[in-house]
Amino acid sequence: MSIKDKIKELIVEWETERLKEYCRSILKNNEATASNLLKIIGDIMKFVGNQFEEEEIFLPELIGSAETVKVVIDDVLDPAIRAAGEEKETMGKVVLGTVESDVHSIGKDLVGSFLFSNGFEVYNLGVEVTANQFISKAEEIGADIIGLSSLLTMSMDFQKQVVDELKKRGLRDKYKVIVGGSPTSEDWAAQIGADGWADDAIETITLVKKLLDISE
Amino acid sequence: MKLKKLEVLSKEEIESITSSALGILETIGIKIDDEKTRKICEEKGANLDGKSSFVKFPENIIKDLLKLVPESFKLHGPDGSFNFEVNTKTTQFATIGTPVRIYDPKLEKNKLKKSVLADTIQQIRVVDSLENVNCSHIDVWPSDVKFTAVHAHCLYQWAKNTKKPYGLGCLGRLASQDMMNITSLIVGSEEDLIKRPRLVGFMNPTSPLQLPKLMTNGLEVFAKYKQPTIVAPEALAGTTAPVTLAGLLAQTCAEIIGGIILAQVYSPISPVFFGTVSCATDMRSGNSALGAIESSLITIAIAQIARYYNIPSRGPGGVTESKIFDVQNGFERFSTMSLAAQAGINYITCAGTYESSLAEALELLVIDDELAGLVKRAMEGINVNEDTIAIELIKKVATSEQKGTNFLAESHTRKYMHKELYIPKLIDRGRRSTWKKKGSKDIIERARAKVDQVLADYQPYELTKDVDTQLLALIKEIEARPIELYMNAEGISGGSVNITGTEITIEKS
Repeated sequence: MSIKDKIKELIVEWETERLKEYCRSILKNNEATASNLLKIIGDIMKFVGNQFEEEEIFLPELIGSAETVKVVIDDVLDPAIRAAGEEKETMGKVVLGTVESDVHSIGKDLVGSFLFSNGFEVYNLGVEVTANQFISKAEEIGADIIGLSSLLTMSMDFQKQVVDELKKRGLRDKYKVIVGGSPTSEDWAAQIGADGWADDAIETITLVKKLLDISE
Repeated sequence: MKLKKLEVLSKEEIESITSSALGILETIGIKIDDEKTRKICEEKGANLDGKSSFVKFPENIIKDLLKLVPESFKLHGPDGSFNFEVNTKTTQFATIGTPVRIYDPKLEKNKLKKSVLADTIQQIRVVDSLENVNCSHIDVWPSDVKFTAVHAHCLYQWAKNTKKPYGLGCLGRLASQDMMNITSLIVGSEEDLIKRPRLVGFMNPTSPLQLPKLMTNGLEVFAKYKQPTIVAPEALAGTTAPVTLAGLLAQTCAEIIGGIILAQVYSPISPVFFGTVSCATDMRSGNSALGAIESSLITIAIAQIARYYNIPSRGPGGVTESKIFDVQNGFERFSTMSLAAQAGINYITCAGTYESSLAEALELLVIDDELAGLVKRAMEGINVNEDTIAIELIKKVATSEQKGTNFLAESHTRKYMHKELYIPKLIDRGRRSTWKKKGSKDIIERARAKVDQVLADYQPYELTKDVDTQLLALIKEIEARPIELYMNAEGISGGSVNITGTEITIEKS
């Protein structure tokens, strides 16, 4: 079985610990570099994302696979890349979360998994994330995009607060701000001064690529 | 536990109805048109009634004959690679109907056209692709084929277009014998056909209390070849049976039992279904009302009575009087299918039909397959054990320090997802915007896309050149037969008939 096939098998089976072990052994035996493995994993996640789009697999399979991969990258591949003194290749860094007073997570988790599957580095901050938390994380990791999710009409205003807070701190032009969630719309995004809005996870990829000038 | 079976009759009520049915068979009898059959029944202990065609069966004779009925049997596809068991505990889904028209979305006006052999073939192919509908029948009637050779053409197409079993009416002894000869050729031998049944026969008594000659002639052939037969009268409450459902049940049970014991008289241990298509009468038009709620009550009662006799039951589901794809079409087809399944009917038929099963839509056929999936899931009920209650998992997710943690990416979800949640393919549950992006299609359009895909991808099954040549020669021979030959064979006029492998001599009665 090829390295790619083995990794794919472990990803789709959510075998996080076994995938870590396998990647470590590959690195130890110099069978591939961490950057190579990252590229292989990226291709596999792209395939998994396509399967989801084609309705061949379902939400748990997509999100579960992305979670497995995330742990392996954080614990094994990132440290190896750093140790080799290399720069990690990424399509872009995205800080993502559901805004204050809103606990809905599934929509933005799906967006996160999709971005991740498409080669973006995703920092999913969870739910009830304050403007300060979004901005601090973006500053810390040098984000390109801040993604704000809101599933309640009552919490939509907190998306605006993040944009306002960025302006207040003089950081507005440093990041592209995107918004999403059932009650939001393109008009809403324009109204609060965000850079873009996407209707679903798949559209988010197109939007982010457009904002970052990445050709399809 | 699994979904509890629906019941409309208490044990005492079942006994009251069945003893009335046996009483009918003993005292009134059942009218058997065929004289030879009446004589065979007399030899088995039945009493003939002078000049009338009624045959009276003493209760002990009926009970002895009922003991011969198999509790289960298997049905096989042409090459035997696909098969399923029919028994008194499980539920299978199938087609059956009498559609002479088929929906065609390309047509301008009412979108219905007279069905032709090409439609029959498409229906067989679509059934072949389905997950839950396991058997097709000669329901899409080909109007472009000589009517005395429809059975031959349909069987030829069946062999080339599906791995699943097939069904045809017991349409007289000559056509039925053709069916056995053709199928024996397809499967390799008569012995194989008898050992591994391929064909379901429909034998419809005429209400009230009549077993017509054409049907009993066909039944005799099906029984001899041990092909399972559905004995299913269509008694209509208020027209061909009492309007009281209890009265209808007593009468129709006499008709069903009459047909079932006759199959055993012809050939002991013949597989049969305790069947029904009995239904309400529409008191405004006199039409049958298969989709009526009372029709489902009859179906539920028949399921109970069939279980009482330990005989597999057959009932309609997915039936409607609606002429279009409207809400009535939807609620009647789901209501009848769901209630039949909940009642424990073992063979639920009529997938793909509408307008009292006179019209067919391949779109409805694939939708019914999905409804069958929903219904099967419902019947599984709720599985309760330590692992499914999942206390530890609830604790893990609920107390996670990470806010917004949910159950989606838990192994437990993955393990049970497909078992616990039926994931439909045609039913739309997405967001409006996603639905719009996909073309704002209704379920009929989505079903059409699936039908188109199935038909575009279809790979016919190959027959050997030798079998193909023999079949075509046989069809040619059948096509060339004049109608008089059929009339002779069925005893409608006198004379003898010689068809491949069988000589039938009939004295005019």
